[in-house]
Amino acid sequence: MSQMTPNPSPPEETLPAVTFDFTSQRAGISGDTLLRLVTQGSACTILLMLAALLIVLTHAAMPTIRSFGLKFLTGTEWRSNALEQPRRGPDGKLVFDADGEQIVDTIEPVFGALPVIWGTAMTSVIALTFAIPLSFGTALFLIRIAPRVTVGPVSFMVEFLAAIPSIAYGIWGLFVFGPFMQKYLEPWLNGVFDTVPGLGFMHFSGMATGRDMLCGGLLLGIMIIPIITAISRDVLNGVPRAQIEGTTALGATWWQSSKEMLKYSRSGLFGAVMLGLARAAGETMAITMVIGNNNQISPSPFAPAQSMASLLANEFAEASGDLQRSALIEVALILLVMSLIFNVIARKLVVGKGARTSAAH
Amino acid sequence: MLQMMKRASIALVGSLAIAGTCMAETRLQGAGATFPNPIYQKWVIEYQKANPEVKIDYQSIGSGGGIKGITEHTVDFAGSDAPMNKKEIAAAKDEVVHIPTVAGAVVAAYNLPGFNGELKLTGPLVVDIFSGKITKWNDAKIAEANAGASLPDMDITVAYRTDGSGTTFVFSSYLATQSEDFKSTIGASKQVKWPVGQGGKGNEGVTAIVQAFPGAVGYIEVNYALANKIPYALLKNKAGKFIKAGPDSVSAAGSGAVDQMKESLAVNIWDQTSEAAYPISAFTYIIVYKDLAYLKSPEKATALVKFLKWSVTGDGQALATSMDYAPLADGVKAKAGAAIDALTFGGKPLK
Repeated sequence: MSQMTPNPSPPEETLPAVTFDFTSQRAGISGDTLLRLVTQGSACTILLMLAALLIVLTHAAMPTIRSFGLKFLTGTEWRSNALEQPRRGPDGKLVFDADGEQIVDTIEPVFGALPVIWGTAMTSVIALTFAIPLSFGTALFLIRIAPRVTVGPVSFMVEFLAAIPSIAYGIWGLFVFGPFMQKYLEPWLNGVFDTVPGLGFMHFSGMATGRDMLCGGLLLGIMIIPIITAISRDVLNGVPRAQIEGTTALGATWWQSSKEMLKYSRSGLFGAVMLGLARAAGETMAITMVIGNNNQISPSPFAPAQSMASLLANEFAEASGDLQRSALIEVALILLVMSLIFNVIARKLVVGKGARTSAAH
Repeated sequence: MLQMMKRASIALVGSLAIAGTCMAETRLQGAGATFPNPIYQKWVIEYQKANPEVKIDYQSIGSGGGIKGITEHTVDFAGSDAPMNKKEIAAAKDEVVHIPTVAGAVVAAYNLPGFNGELKLTGPLVVDIFSGKITKWNDAKIAEANAGASLPDMDITVAYRTDGSGTTFVFSSYLATQSEDFKSTIGASKQVKWPVGQGGKGNEGVTAIVQAFPGAVGYIEVNYALANKIPYALLKNKAGKFIKAGPDSVSAAGSGAVDQMKESLAVNIWDQTSEAAYPISAFTYIIVYKDLAYLKSPEKATALVKFLKWSVTGDGQALATSMDYAPLADGVKAKAGAAIDALTFGGKPLK
């Protein structure tokens, strides 16, 4: 996280001239050249690794890309087994061949990724809805209100949340948080959905189970709080002192000047959110334990679902047949590309422009 | 006392060293199904005690992985709950042999607080519950099978396996025999798309769901139900009797299938006609090639044959019951023994 810290002071325009005497260098490759080659090599290797990952995944996903094409993204059914259905005539009667044998049609497996895309999107939205206010609030508190002595411990505790292994979150979600949701929060929320007009579509008719999109989303929310908090704290820290003093001088209340701070650093904050989103979408272990693992699309947050990552965790090890393996790899590819896009946007916003774009207005 | 232990350990180390140097070690590598893993590990330990010159390693990576391993010759023997299908047999390099080792049962384990009786279910009822057609425990159809018992007014939460597994294969294959509709819409396979409920990874995942949800019902191997003390339903068999899954009722299902064992020993033993048979029973298999020349050395081939004989027709079977597996019925044992005897090395019989 700390590597995301934007440089608060713009780089110096002119660096003091540094001169060394390298004339004593022995013949052959100079240290400079060697170092340049080594560092260039390291940088290239990492780029090559990413490229190789993309190429290998795309290649391995070719069978499904070829047989389903774009339908893979819009298909709502994920069925890895072939079905055998007796053929029925237009009159609904079974059809027999000349020898009196019943004709059976084989329905090949189909793979549609929409349910897992839906599950990933829903849980991520729930996670962000939960995490953004908490993270921005904490960041503002740390920067503007917290007495000096509390800043250290609070920051440490928030960042410690990031150090908890995701399996630990999963177990806590499965045995503590899920049952709590099932007993208290979900029946109450379900009642709210039922009575408030316009929210009826989110009502869940069966028993709320506590292992569903809401539980998964909230758990992800807790998991992404540290990253969003840490980055937004650094971004807010980057707001020039003059800016804050200026608003105060103009008579802004504490709230108004805080609002200005948030506005001033909005692109950086948005970047923080994007990084949180990338983490939420890719989280695997914890979400697998609490999302309910059912490949379906339901508008109710109380319905069990499946995210892309949990689908891979569930099915990859025992995938039977090349087509299923290829379909799972294509899901992984989509996930990778999505995370790449989120990260690129986030980096552009946090590191590239940061506070400077806003400084222009 | 300490002295004694010291001396004993020196003696042990000494004898191990001798064993290590004097006898050439034969190593056998197996991999596959997770369901029989506990009994296979027990067999390996017990067999190695008596035969220290053989080192056997079985890795429970899943049936699919085992079949892949034997097909590509990366393991010496594979474990699988589901027999190899036509495609897989065609992909194998040579003729394969399925040797049944033990039998197991898949049960409908449930969590019904306040219900202390024994739940009775029929095949069609299990189909309706797992396809979401029956959603309440006090449904009239369930009540009909449980005359006299009072079932709670509670929603049913179905729990199923999300990963491909022999357990799902056996369970869905049985349900396919009970309902044409199930067969053509959900189908029998290692992994199927269940229309309702919560998915768990592995037997332990499903077990956790059943334990966590009042009103849950999930299919798991009987061993997991026993180990976690989860009640499971009695199931009505083809003869019309409600049977509890256990070593005897599963062995009975196996013995009913002896007549079907002809060229291949891979036969389905679910839904057997015998009165004592538990309906969702299945063998688990060790799969090897008929000609053991792929093991490269005749010593390895002999060691594998001896281990299989010991496990399947010898002392190994006695260990099965104590670990909640069903031993092979005598008729099956004889067939399996004959199949092991028929294994060859480079076209020549072993021994």
